[in-house]
Amino acid sequence: MGKTLQIHSTLACDVLIIGAGGAGLRCAAFIHERRPDLKVFAVTKVAHPQKSHTGTAQGGLAAVDPKDRTDSALFHMFDTWKGGDCSSDQNVVRKIVAGGWEEVQWLELRGMHLSRDEEGNISKRQFGGHTVEFGKGDALRAVFEADRTGKGIMDTVWGEALKGGALFINATVATELLFNEGRCVGAVLFKVKEGEFVAALAGATVLATGGSGQVYRITTNCRNNTGDGPAVILRAGLPVMDPEAVQFHPTGIVGPGILASEALRSEGGILRNKDLEPFMERYAPKMKNLAPRDIVARSIEMEIREGRGIMNPDHQLEHVWIDLRHLPDHVHEVKLKEVASFFKTYANLDSRTQLCPVRPSNHYHMGGIPTNEYGEVQKSADAIVPGLFAIGECACASLHGFNRLGTNSLLELLVMGRCAGERVLSFLKENRAPAVKDAGEATLALFARYLEAQGKENVGLIRQEMRAMMTGKVGVFRDETGLQEAVASLADLKRRAAQAPVAVKDMRMNQELLERWELDNLLDNAMTIAQGALMRKESRGAHFREDYPERSDEYQFHTLVSMTDFGKVCFGKRPIDMSIHESGGEHAERFGIMPRKY
Amino acid sequence: MSKSYSLTLTIRRFDPDASRRWFQTYTLSTGPILRFVDLFRRINVEQDATLAWTSSCEHAQCGSCSVKVNGRPMLACELLVENAVNLFGTTKFRIEPVTVAPVVRDLVVDWEKAYERVHRAKPYLIEPKELPPGMTEHRISPGKIARYEEATRCINCFCCAEACLSSCRNFIGPNAAMAGIVRMMDIRETQKEERLDLLYSEEGIYRCHTSKACSHVCPKEIDVAHFIALAKEGAF
Repeated sequence: MGKTLQIHSTLACDVLIIGAGGAGLRCAAFIHERRPDLKVFAVTKVAHPQKSHTGTAQGGLAAVDPKDRTDSALFHMFDTWKGGDCSSDQNVVRKIVAGGWEEVQWLELRGMHLSRDEEGNISKRQFGGHTVEFGKGDALRAVFEADRTGKGIMDTVWGEALKGGALFINATVATELLFNEGRCVGAVLFKVKEGEFVAALAGATVLATGGSGQVYRITTNCRNNTGDGPAVILRAGLPVMDPEAVQFHPTGIVGPGILASEALRSEGGILRNKDLEPFMERYAPKMKNLAPRDIVARSIEMEIREGRGIMNPDHQLEHVWIDLRHLPDHVHEVKLKEVASFFKTYANLDSRTQLCPVRPSNHYHMGGIPTNEYGEVQKSADAIVPGLFAIGECACASLHGFNRLGTNSLLELLVMGRCAGERVLSFLKENRAPAVKDAGEATLALFARYLEAQGKENVGLIRQEMRAMMTGKVGVFRDETGLQEAVASLADLKRRAAQAPVAVKDMRMNQELLERWELDNLLDNAMTIAQGALMRKESRGAHFREDYPERSDEYQFHTLVSMTDFGKVCFGKRPIDMSIHESGGEHAERFGIMPRKY
Repeated sequence: MSKSYSLTLTIRRFDPDASRRWFQTYTLSTGPILRFVDLFRRINVEQDATLAWTSSCEHAQCGSCSVKVNGRPMLACELLVENAVNLFGTTKFRIEPVTVAPVVRDLVVDWEKAYERVHRAKPYLIEPKELPPGMTEHRISPGKIARYEEATRCINCFCCAEACLSSCRNFIGPNAAMAGIVRMMDIRETQKEERLDLLYSEEGIYRCHTSKACSHVCPKEIDVAHFIALAKEGAF
């Protein structure tokens, strides 16, 4: 008890990458291939980089094969722009889409086990929202490794980063960014396993901390996705962008929320309520169960809200059923093998003979740390923070706008990992990292407060309350009253969190202390999501306001939110880039503002 | 669906500060389809915030939450209460950390140490084959891939290494060996010599006693022993 916290040591490197998932390690691998002489730290919160959340991505990686005469980059750009509800930045869309196949080749040459067709060429599959000829037909655009594409990518980038000599710092989080005269010069790290704080000084710092799905009670995200990157950015006085743009997958498996693929519906699964009514016929009479993700998610939530859901007694969660019983055995055994096995493993149900419980599950945050097309972090719409980069789900460039297409996230994290790597190298040429004063004082004060806190509150209970409240009030449906209640409730939870003591005082692998810090990060993320959703009095992509169900041109901009005092937010705007449209090039007219109708 | 179980979890604990080791018993009343990770979380929230345990994806894709349940290495994220009761025929469970790496606190082990074995096996193409002229990607027939595809599903949860009769001594371990075997079978690897040196080294596959415990406990149902047998025969 009462041990004084201190910075244990100071480390120095050329590039500090915080987050060693797909984006972070793609960046590390790129830097090592170009500059084997550089010292790269790859910091990961998980026990080892291979445990990263990228490894759970199932379906595929979108990339236009230049050998494919039926597809073109322009079609992919159109789909991404339309899918994002006209809120993606077209310069970013152009760049990322153009870089796709190069990434497939990079992975293939380095040993990723991509699925093949009979001739031995890389196979491709169709995915929702990906079309040819501007919506005329389905595009075969997603390369994949069976149902574990993310794992194939993760294993390859991890292998390459290891081979290149990246220095992994595992089970470690970044608690504070270090600046000198406005430049980012590294970060303070908390090595959880050892219980040590270290200052890591770097020529360039790359944030790649992943998602923030744990803000919600039901999520497809891993336990470690607590929005640490955006929280650290907010504490540095910098803004986050479009936090209100949160995607919910319609069919998460009750209770954990594990993603049950869209294939369930495309193979003929029927959603039913507690009266076994096939309710999608009421919400989407034409497309029924094949309607787009957000419509299906809202329909399921509506059924539950109007009392036609079913309560799962074990997880205390309401859900609807997906009925797969009428499908032939070979569909269960071959086409739905993986998800059928998920129902068996996590609910002990046989999808051939039993109804299976599903409900919308938080899946992806389109928003994040604002960057330009090079991955450079922005402090405002037109100024960057020198030396600081952000990539992957924690960042927002923005490729996805307000709604992400399936398979576009793996594309984004790879291309942006490489592009940020390029920019890091050119930045290092011009600049040297100056020394920093007072490194870590804010972190040490924060953690000392956690350890000294007294009271009767409980970190786990506060987290549970927050997650349930966010799912209820800032989830699939949002409205003015609910959002205002959410903001008030978050302020109350934040106040209560200050009275939650930490019993274990020893610093080594202090899970309680880590979870206390994570709770602050979750609350910060939740507050910016709720405030952004409250500000945006319209519906756009995945952000759906019941009181403002239409998209409005008045909100044709990216939200910038900064928050130095909890709850006191400061809004800014970033224009949405429409350079493809404005270029007047071939098919430029396709890239104007249009309704998102399928 | 309204079935309820009264469980007794006896968890091996370790406090590094006091160098104290002990077993602590928790009792919980729970429904049939909660997972063991859900039980750990409930213990944290309802009974004891100090119990430390590891997980990440919590759906058997990352291999972080391996623990021993009544002596058997398993992923805590895919063990449902009802299945555990049926498998072991009891509602009393003894839960211990795996022994393939040093314990940091309670059920948390230092995975980095366990992974050193996998890193020694070089989990990447040491020297990738160049593309044939005029090609932008390699062609690999599905039949070739099918021979080793199963092994590529390994998540390095180390359950096999935990169960292995030989790996605690001088054997590099089943999962690390398999990481090398996959690349021996991959037509894109040209450094077969170095791979063979690793596989047939002092810590290589001849340390394996063919107990097949690895295949028996693998949560991904990979027939690990089959791949080690192929390597022993040189049938890559």
